[in-house]
Amino acid sequence: MTAPHALQVDSVAKAFGGNRVLEKVGFNVRPGEIVGLLGPNGSGKSTLLNTITGFEAIDAGSVTFEGRRIDTLSAHRIVQAGIARTFQLPSMPAKMSVAEVAMAASVAHHGIWENLFGLRAAREAEARAREQANALLYQLLLAPVRDQPAAAISGGQKKLLGIVCALMAHPRMLMLDEPTAGVHPNLRSDIVGALQRLNQAGMTIVIVEHDMHFIREVCHRCIVLDRGHIVADCRPDELASNERVLEAYLGGAARKPAAGATAGPVLRMGAA
Amino acid sequence: MFDFLVSSLTFGAIFALMALGLNLQAGLAGLLNFGHIAFAGIGAYGTGIAVQAGWHPALGAAAGVAVAMTLGWCIARLGKQLAADYWGIATLAIAEIIRTVATNELWLTNGAQGISGIPALFDDLPGKSGALAFLALVVALAAAAAVLLRRVAYGRFGRALRVMREEPKLAACMGYDLMSLKSRAVMAGAGVTAVAGSLYAHYMSFVGPDYLLASETFLLWTMLMIGGIGNFSGVVLGVVLVQTAYTLVPFAKDAFGFGSDIAGALRLGLIGCILLGCLLWRSEGLLPEKMRKMP
Repeated sequence: MTAPHALQVDSVAKAFGGNRVLEKVGFNVRPGEIVGLLGPNGSGKSTLLNTITGFEAIDAGSVTFEGRRIDTLSAHRIVQAGIARTFQLPSMPAKMSVAEVAMAASVAHHGIWENLFGLRAAREAEARAREQANALLYQLLLAPVRDQPAAAISGGQKKLLGIVCALMAHPRMLMLDEPTAGVHPNLRSDIVGALQRLNQAGMTIVIVEHDMHFIREVCHRCIVLDRGHIVADCRPDELASNERVLEAYLGGAARKPAAGATAGPVLRMGAA
Repeated sequence: MFDFLVSSLTFGAIFALMALGLNLQAGLAGLLNFGHIAFAGIGAYGTGIAVQAGWHPALGAAAGVAVAMTLGWCIARLGKQLAADYWGIATLAIAEIIRTVATNELWLTNGAQGISGIPALFDDLPGKSGALAFLALVVALAAAAAVLLRRVAYGRFGRALRVMREEPKLAACMGYDLMSLKSRAVMAGAGVTAVAGSLYAHYMSFVGPDYLLASETFLLWTMLMIGGIGNFSGVVLGVVLVQTAYTLVPFAKDAFGFGSDIAGALRLGLIGCILLGCLLWRSEGLLPEKMRKMP
């Protein structure tokens, strides 16, 4: 049986002390969909991403991936279950090259004995991993810096390397935390292209993002969070006309017509 | 003179084994194990207790390795929530507890008296060839450990350890179980070090609680830091340098007419100066860890 939803988030709640960051958050992601997760700063997007990927435990509710409860699993088990993620501000090892970090993300056969005695299975796995890493580094334009220390490449390149690492684990769903923030515009369009190609190959993608151009270009659907609640679940082109979204980004001012003059990037991009 | 040289080299090779075990944990996995000498002590006591009980020493060595690796597993899982530096303090405390137990449990370890009469290996060989055969054994073991651990370091397991050391969150994102990586690194280090401890007991024909002094752990750390933590060639260089400094002190004692107490202080002072110099001018050691170029 194939589950109708790839990801199912049901009444998820999370509080840090008295600060209730997520309250009864529920949404679904269908297989093969690209969903944008939006919301002003502090709306709970990153916390939601962390709870789904096992970096934060949830207080209530459930998260199901392909019909299997994953909210009790630890982070590495969730990766093994098929969800890989990237970080908003990826930091990379200083003593490892870009290629080596990518290779490290290939998890199979990492036992001591296999590489101690150079078993054939381990050698073959190593060769496959190298091939896969080289192909992904090439696709995400990191081939020219593959021998640089991973900590020394630019912030945008680190984001790409984060995506390479996520893809090395052969995930069926990718969760990206602001993949284009601080990335050069040329590189941005490359990321768009790469994500679209992945999606055409069947990858389900959830993206936390502020850039409305990017959202409109890439996402099929948008979920907007505000103060721990979902306030909208709509197509990207419907965002600009959604009153609750405007309220979330602009506060009560959005109701007044004069607010158009001071509208933030969401409004302007949305209207463009 | 010849005996002195052979004995210095033997000690050096035994310390090299212990330092290589520590480097797997501290250098590759970034685990600040300040109780590393406990593993050597357990290896030594395993041999000693087996001899005392009339068993074959090899059985004792095997038991010592098994107990040390079990302890390693426990230490690695100790305090899941502890930050790296607090974990380091906990390892120091555990080693001290084991030393205190060894000092006080007369029935098991013969207390502060220690266990003597542990047979030397290759004792039946004529003349000096027994000592040479033992030296050859420990050098071969240290060399094999260096080669194999280096291979682990640059293989997939070592890559995983190095990502965990520098970016634990990224390692978790890659799908690595950090607790399992940590356990396996500490257990492997513990096994190698327990073998060294057992050999040490054979060489000295004796094991006592002084083997477990925290200063021994810090001597190993000094070797790592001088040579280059994370780099296996560097660790071997560190062992050679520290061991050479130790070896030279008796000559200085004779040449300048120092007393024995001053010679002891001179030994520590010399190591301290080398360590300080390294920290000031070569903070990553004489042979820093190198980035590996992937084919």
